[in-house]
Parts: sequence; C-alpha cells; structure tokens
Amino acid sequence: MSIQAMIDEWYPVGIFAQLDEAGRNTMLMGEPIVVTKDGNARVTGRNGRSLPVKVRYGHVWTSLGEPKKDLFPIPEADQPGRRFVDVGVVRVRCSPLRAVENFLDIAHFPFVHTDILGAEPHTEVQNYKVEIREDVDEVWATQVKFYQPQAAKSASGGITTEYMYRVAAPTCTVLYKTCPPRPTEWDVITLFVQPLTEELCDVWPWMALFDDETSMTDLIHFQQTIFLQDRSILENQIPRLLPLDPGMEIPTRADMTSIAYRRWLKRHNYTYGAQLVAQ
Amino acid sequence: MHTLTTGPWTPVALSADLPVGTVIPARIPAGSIALWRSESGRLSASADRCPHRGMSLSHGFVRGENLSCIYHGWSYARSGKCVRIPAHPGLEPPEAIRAKTFAVEEAGGVIWVATDEAATTPPVLEGLMPLRSMTTSAGIAAIEAAAGAKATAEGLVVPAENADTLCLLLSARDDGQTLIHVLLKGETTADSRIAASRVAESLRRAAEDLQKKGIAA
Ligand code: FES
Ligand SMILES: [Fe+2]
Repeated sequence: MSIQAMIDEWYPVGIFAQLDEAGRNTMLMGEPIVVTKDGNARVTGRNGRSLPVKVRYGHVWTSLGEPKKDLFPIPEADQPGRRFVDVGVVRVRCSPLRAVENFLDIAHFPFVHTDILGAEPHTEVQNYKVEIREDVDEVWATQVKFYQPQAAKSASGGITTEYMYRVAAPTCTVLYKTCPPRPTEWDVITLFVQPLTEELCDVWPWMALFDDETSMTDLIHFQQTIFLQDRSILENQIPRLLPLDPGMEIPTRADMTSIAYRRWLKRHNYTYGAQLVAQ
Repeated sequence: MHTLTTGPWTPVALSADLPVGTVIPARIPAGSIALWRSESGRLSASADRCPHRGMSLSHGFVRGENLSCIYHGWSYARSGKCVRIPAHPGLEPPEAIRAKTFAVEEAGGVIWVATDEAATTPPVLEGLMPLRSMTTSAGIAAIEAAAGAKATAEGLVVPAENADTLCLLLSARDDGQTLIHVLLKGETTADSRIAASRVAESLRRAAEDLQKKGIAA
C-alpha cells in the first residue's frame, strides 16, 4: 500500500454550498486539512500549505500532489432540466476502495437493500459487459440489468432497471440508471469518496436527476437510507483493506466489475487502501 | 499469562443464548467465529468470514439447515460447503468454495468449540446449571484474586464466599477480555438466581478494580 500513485488525484473534501468562513477541519490521506470559503473555496494543508482547489459537481476538490489531469468530466452536470442533489456525507470505517467496490456491486441489492433496490427471489445477475476504456482510462460496465421493487424515489412498483457503471478515478464512481419519467435519458448517481486514511473514509454521494416531483428532503433521505445500509456491510468486511491479490476472496461472474476495478487499480499502482499480499 | 487446560475446547456460549434458527458471534483462540443453530436444532461453528467478499458471517441469517451471508446471500451447509449463490441460481457452487468450520459440542447447557478436529470431548461439568454469561476486561488472575480461589484445569472458579451456590467457568479471549459463564449449584429458585447474578456482578467489578490497580497483573 502506497500513497504515491494516488497522490496527484483530485478528491472531494466538502459540499461547496455548505462551506463557511469558519471552515471545515478534515483529513486527506492522513494529512489534516482545512476547507474554508473566502469568496471562493480554499484548502490548506499541513504548515499552512495552499492546496490546489476545484469546485465542481456541488463539491470542493483538492489534491495533496500536483494533479496532471483535470477532474473527470460528467457531461450530465451541464444538462438543463436536471436536479442536482448534494446528498451529504456518510463516514464509513472501511477502505475507500472497498466503498467504491461496493457501489459497483448489484448482487447485494436483494439482501442489503431489501424491498428497495432488490428482493428475493429476483436475485439472478444476468451477464453484462465490462471493459477498461483505454482512451479515457476508465472502467466501464454496461448492459447491467436488475429487477427492482422500487428503483428510485420516483418509481412506483417493480421494474427491471438498466445500469451503466463507470470508475472515473480510483475513489470516484458514476452510475447511470434507467430514468422512469424520461425513458431516453439516464439518471446519474455518483459516489465521491474522500480517503481520510487507508481504513476510514467520508463518502459524498451526488445526483443529477430528472425528477420534478420528489422533494429535496425525500431525495436525500432515500439515498442516505441506501448508504447507511451499505455502511453496515462495509464496516464488517475482513480485512478492512481491499485485497488486490487473488486467493483471498472468491469472485464469480456477477463480480466482473469488481474484478476489472481491482485489475485497473493494480495496474496503476493505486494501492492506498489496498492489501497486496494475502495475510 | 495464565493458561487453562481445557484442551482444544473453548466454552463459547450458553445453550440458552442460541435459539433455533439464529446465529451469534463468538471467539476462540483461532479468532472470531459465527455460531449458529439450524431450524432443526443442529449446532455449527464456522470462521466469521465469508469466502466471497469477507463479510462477517455472524451478521448473516439462518434459513433451514444453512447459514446465509447477509451481503450476497451465499449459503453454507453445516460442513462449511457453499450450497447456493443467489446471483447464479442455476449454478452448482464448486466444491472448493467453503467456509472454515470447527468442531462444536453442547453439554450441560454450555456450547464448546474446538480449535482442531478434536478426538476428545469437552469437559463434563457435573451438577451445574448455567445462569448467564458476561465479559470482563479483567484477566483470569484478577478474577481468581477477587474470588479468593484458583481456577481448575477446566477453568472453573468456586468463589470462596459462595462455594455452596456458585461457580464461574472462565475463558480467556484473544482480545484480552475474559468470558465468564455463571453456573449454579444444586436446587435453585427465582430468588437464588437473582442473588447469584448479583454476586457474580460484584465479583466482576472487584476483579476489574484489581486489574486496574495492577495487583493481579
Ligand atoms: S460476502 Fe458473503 S456472500 Fe458475498
Ligand atoms: Fe448498496
């Protein structure tokens, strides 16, 4: 596990709209940082060092290193008619990489999000497509389908939902799912993970939806319910770090996204929060 | 460090604390385990880690004669063999997918788990009735000091002042805590059980005080 390869990445460190002058004391990869607002957002690291800042997708982003790339694009963030939802933060005692991997997983829906995102006996995971897109250097899973009793706040009754998953950065993932009110569009739900340490993270979900009916409070509440259910899993996996070497855990066909994610992490040496040798 | 010589057997829980169709966490020297009782009443002990993605199996649920993991619902038989992967209902899980299991025995209301495939049987506790279990940060030496009595090879301590009514069955856990099973002697009444429970609690407090002061360290 090393910080090196991941140090130049952008990480979410707070919701822009909720910042004030008093600032937010938090941590990034073990380093205490302060996120404040004086007009724009400012992030200060150890010994008053100024860190790079971006404000995008409702959040403040920073880096301990020197980012070589711009923040990954989410074109839907500029699409008119969408509602943007800053869901808030959920602190989870787990590896940031485990938090992302759980987000990529659909097989747990009937057992962890029972009667919301899944329900027995509809447990089967159909084959889907997974690839590492070399041009953008992202992991993509497409044609993912799953039966859901209540796929979204705006859904009434069960439907088969189609998903696409995208890993855009080592701790950031974007999910596109069938949008009940607009069959030709995708709802966008992201999981931005702030690695506090290798075994502790703040999870910032953010959404860009076509839903004019549901109140903001209900939208936030719905997502928080889901993430709290996920937390009860994430804090009880052993080991806490994500094992990147085969042998420690047993994947099946349903886990193809996770397999590709782990392979991609390993290839880039993105190992902050990972365990390399089976212990 | 004080060692008890119950052989490979650890008294992990009382029978009454594991109803039919439930699973609870427990600890043996080898680590955390999931202790479960099937719908037909059969006991099993497995490592507290699902081979799929490492979820704790003691957070799972019992259905029929199998233990299921709460994360993706993989089900394990008493033997540890995986018998169902819900994401692939048509697939017969490969033989190699197994949760590690341990030998488990139940005698006189106490559940014992063995670290290795035990040829022996757990100690027999004649004439003792289990009342309740409790954990304490005190070590065995501190508990002995508080009780004014030494533990037997089986881990039994008969408190000097309550020798006629009470007996403590101790088990040192790998996390430094001690598990105490409170056992009663002879005939009991509701009142005597309440009294014994209070005695055990004050012994625990006394042992924790001694531990803090370092007298028994
Ligand atoms: S971790 Fe147990 S079924 Fe997936
Ligand atoms: Fe989930």
